[in-house]
Amino acid sequence: MIQEVVKKVQEFFPDLKVSEFMNKSVVWINPGRKLLHVKEIMRIKRISGVPVVDESERVIGIVSLEDIIKALEGDYIEDPVEKWMTKSVITLKPDDDLEKTISLFEKYGYGRFPVVDENGKLVGIVTKHDILTGLLVKLGTIYLHDARRKDVLENPEFFDRSLITGEVIDKKGADFSFHIDYFDTNLAGIGASKLKQFLLEKGIDERTVRRAAIATYEAETNVVIHSGSDGYIYCFLRDDQIVVRVEDFGKGIENVEIAMKEGFTTAPDHIREMGFGAGMGLPNMKRYSDKMVIVSEAGKGVVVEMIFFKEGKENETQGSNG
Amino acid sequence: MKLKEVMDELGLEHVYGELNKEVTYGYTCDLLSEVMGNAKPGTLWVTVQSHMNIIAVATITGIRGIILCNGHDYDEQTIKKAKEEGITLFKTQENSFVVSGKLYALGLR
Repeated sequence: MIQEVVKKVQEFFPDLKVSEFMNKSVVWINPGRKLLHVKEIMRIKRISGVPVVDESERVIGIVSLEDIIKALEGDYIEDPVEKWMTKSVITLKPDDDLEKTISLFEKYGYGRFPVVDENGKLVGIVTKHDILTGLLVKLGTIYLHDARRKDVLENPEFFDRSLITGEVIDKKGADFSFHIDYFDTNLAGIGASKLKQFLLEKGIDERTVRRAAIATYEAETNVVIHSGSDGYIYCFLRDDQIVVRVEDFGKGIENVEIAMKEGFTTAPDHIREMGFGAGMGLPNMKRYSDKMVIVSEAGKGVVVEMIFFKEGKENETQGSNG
Repeated sequence: MKLKEVMDELGLEHVYGELNKEVTYGYTCDLLSEVMGNAKPGTLWVTVQSHMNIIAVATITGIRGIILCNGHDYDEQTIKKAKEEGITLFKTQENSFVVSGKLYALGLR
């Protein structure tokens, strides 16, 4: 099913590269570890395949859930990974395109393909889920000057669904919310400051909090300076990530691709004199978030959704060579 | 380096705030987004912007102190906000270039 949808959509994105949608925080294992360890990794990380890398991080094999089941049935779960891993691994390169990726999924029927650089070094992994997420992110910016944007913008659910995952989001159930109900640029940043405080109180690591606060500040100032309307900041705390959504009901952005360019600004002189309007707002949001989708159209408001992966956890799970 | 040392070395006028804080970096810029994007936590910020939004920028990025140049004065609102957020404020008659040069010579990076 997913495959069919993706296949239909892929023709719109001939230039989309593996490096744009692969998952960079890939979990791997060394060949000397036991299959039992792989089983534990799969259970904890809820993944169904783990690439095996040698000491120079080159991919030399892969272990799938199927291998683990066989090991449990055959009672050799204590054996080293290298004895049972699949050695002929099909890999992708960061520069491969979407078409090539989909053809691999169709041809081999595997659930995942490791991505390696020119030296065979592991740099990422692609599952169908990653492709879907990548496409959704891409759709977010493309909608802007594409007839299909109407489907999104004129759908009353537009303001109720996650731009990144498509799921219906319960804003009343947000862990943090802030009504941007002021128009005085002097006050810009109150919501972001409050969010920062809130995240720190929740015990989230400082670097992630800082990134989230900076990106939210930019989004908030945009609402105050450009939208001509009020707006809301919502924050949802997830296990390994923070989701921030900032929306307004104002003027909207005519062309997001241009607005994303560094230095592009529509701010009037008196705003620029205050040190705003450097044209860095959207680029800063993109730079400080791990995933960002923005949907807008002139006259229809702006919705920005950003995901920030918490740092501590990610580092802990990088690899498992103990 | 302690803010107190920086103040004494540069002859800055102390407007508000704790002087016992440590700063490691300097950053000179008047565009708020640039500052947000580039200043590191533990920074002493050199600028000519005096409106209260500089405090929000400082709070969010982890800037510990601000040097307002060219003899500009802080808005009252800005000082009030700085008290709430614990940001140290200085002012000087000198321009941003001169102040930055001196900070660099003192060892801030």
